Amino acid sequence: MFGYVIPPLEGLAQEERDRFAQIYCGLCHTLKTRCGQRSRMILNYDFTFLAILLSDEEAPICGESRCPSSPITKKRYQKSDEAMNLAADESVILAYWQLRDGVADHGFWKGLKYRFLSRQLHFAYRKAAACRPEFDTAVQTQLQKLAELETENCTSMDQAADTFAELLAAAADGAENLTKRRVLRQMLYHLGRWVYLMDAADDLKKDTESGGYNPLRARFDLQDGVLTEEVRKSFTTTLDHSIHMIATAYELWDFGIWSKLLEATVYEGLFQVGRAVLDGTFHTGFFGKKKDKIVEETA
Amino acid sequence: MNNPYQVLGVSETATDAEVKKAYLNLARKYHPDNYHDNPLADLAQEKMKEINAAYEQITKERGNGKNGSSAGGYSGGYSGGYGYGYGDSGTARQTWSNASSSSVLQQVRMAINGGDLSRAEALLAAYEQHSAEWNFLKGAVCYRRGWMDEARRYYETACQMDPNNREYQQALDYMENGATNSYHPNDGTFGTDACGSNLCAKMCCAYVLCNGCGYWGFCR
Repeated sequence: MFGYVIPPLEGLAQEERDRFAQIYCGLCHTLKTRCGQRSRMILNYDFTFLAILLSDEEAPICGESRCPSSPITKKRYQKSDEAMNLAADESVILAYWQLRDGVADHGFWKGLKYRFLSRQLHFAYRKAAACRPEFDTAVQTQLQKLAELETENCTSMDQAADTFAELLAAAADGAENLTKRRVLRQMLYHLGRWVYLMDAADDLKKDTESGGYNPLRARFDLQDGVLTEEVRKSFTTTLDHSIHMIATAYELWDFGIWSKLLEATVYEGLFQVGRAVLDGTFHTGFFGKKKDKIVEETA
Repeated sequence: MNNPYQVLGVSETATDAEVKKAYLNLARKYHPDNYHDNPLADLAQEKMKEINAAYEQITKERGNGKNGSSAGGYSGGYSGGYGYGYGDSGTARQTWSNASSSSVLQQVRMAINGGDLSRAEALLAAYEQHSAEWNFLKGAVCYRRGWMDEARRYYETACQMDPNNREYQQALDYMENGATNSYHPNDGTFGTDACGSNLCAKMCCAYVLCNGCGYWGFCR
C-alpha cells in the first residue's frame, strides 16, 4: 500500500501517540522475527492501521529494545501476538505482489527497481504465503483482474477500485468473531477503495504525462490531468461516501484501547490526507515533510 | 442485559441531563438516517435497541415522573426504519410496497432488502426494459456494493427519466449530500472539502430540514 492512512497524531493525547508508536515499532519487530530483516523495509502507516484493526481490544504486552533506527536509546514496542503475526504476513504478501505488479507495469530499465526490491522480499513472501495461502490467492486474483481492467482502459473507476477494495477486504477473514469480521470487511473494502482512488488522484499528473492508465482520466474528461471544480466535487462525494461507510462500520464494533486512534483517523485523518492529495500538497506540505518522522517526533 | 449506564457510556452518578445527552449522541450515531442502504444496518438496529432499552431502564429507575414519558417518546421515534428506502421510515416502507411497476422489480426490491445483492443484480440483468425504476434499483444495488460513482450515475438517469418521482430524487439528494450530513463525533463536519465553520454547519442543518428530514433539527 501507499501510506495514506495517517492518524492525526498531533491532535491526540500523548498516551495515544505512544500507543501508535508502540504498535508501529511492534509491527517492525514482528516483521523481522517472522519474515526476516529485509521485510522491515515495507513498514508503513497503512500496514500499521491494518495491525490496529486486527489487534485485540485489550492493552497489549510491550517490551523495550534497541533497533537499527534507534541504536542507542531503547524504545518500547508492542510484542508479537496472533493479530500482529497476521498483520505482518498480510502486509508482506500485499507489498510483494505490488512490487511484482511494478515489474510487470514497467519496461526493463524502469522495472529494475521493482525487480530488485521484490527479490529482496522474496524470502519473506514465501514464508508469509505459506502461512496464509488463502490471502495470497485472493491478492493474486484481484491484482490479475486489475491488470486486465487497466489493459482494456476500464472507464468505471468503481470497477477498477473494486479489485483493490476486495483484496484488502480479504484481510478481514482472519478475524474470528463473525460480527467483527463483517465490520472489518466493510471497513477494509472502503479503505481499499479510498486508498486506490487516492493513489489515482496522486498519480494523475504523472499518468497524464506518461499516458499510463489512470481510473480518473478514464472516467472523467480532464484537461492536462487537472481536476476541474465540478469533477473534484463529484469525486470527493464518492470518496466521502466511502469514508462514511468506514465510519458507520467502525461504530459497530468496540475496538477498546484503539478507539481514540481509529476514531481520529476515520473522522479526521482521512479527510486531511484526501484534501492534501487533491490540493497537490501531500508530498510537499505537512505530510510530505513529516511522513517518515511523525512517529519519532511525536513519541 | 448489560449495565444500562455502561451501554450509554456514563457513570451511575451522572445527572439526568448528562444521561440524556449521552443517549441522544448515541441515538444520532446509530439512527437509521446514518445507516441508509448500509449493508450493516442490521447491526446498527441492534445497537439502537440496546441503547433505547438502557435509556428507558435508567429513566424508569430514576422515577417515573417527567423523564419516563420522554423516554417512551424517544424509543418510539427511533425504532424501525432501517429497511429499504429514504427519509421518513413510514412513508418509505409504504412507497416500496406499492411503487414497483412489475413483479420482477418488486422481487428486486425484496432481494435488496434481504441483503441478497447477487440475486437483485441477476434479476436486473435479465430485465429488458431499462425504465426509470430499473435505473433507480440498479443505483441502489451499486450503492450497497460500495460502487458509489456508478450509483450516482444510475440515480441521475432515473431522475432524468422521471423527474417527478420523490423516491428517486431523495436517493440522488442523499448521494450528493448524505455523507456530508452524516454523524461526526463532537459535532464536527464530515467531508474532504467540508467547511469547518459553525455558520456553515448550521446552514447544512437548515438544508437537511428543508429536505424533509426532521431528525437533525429534532436533536440539536
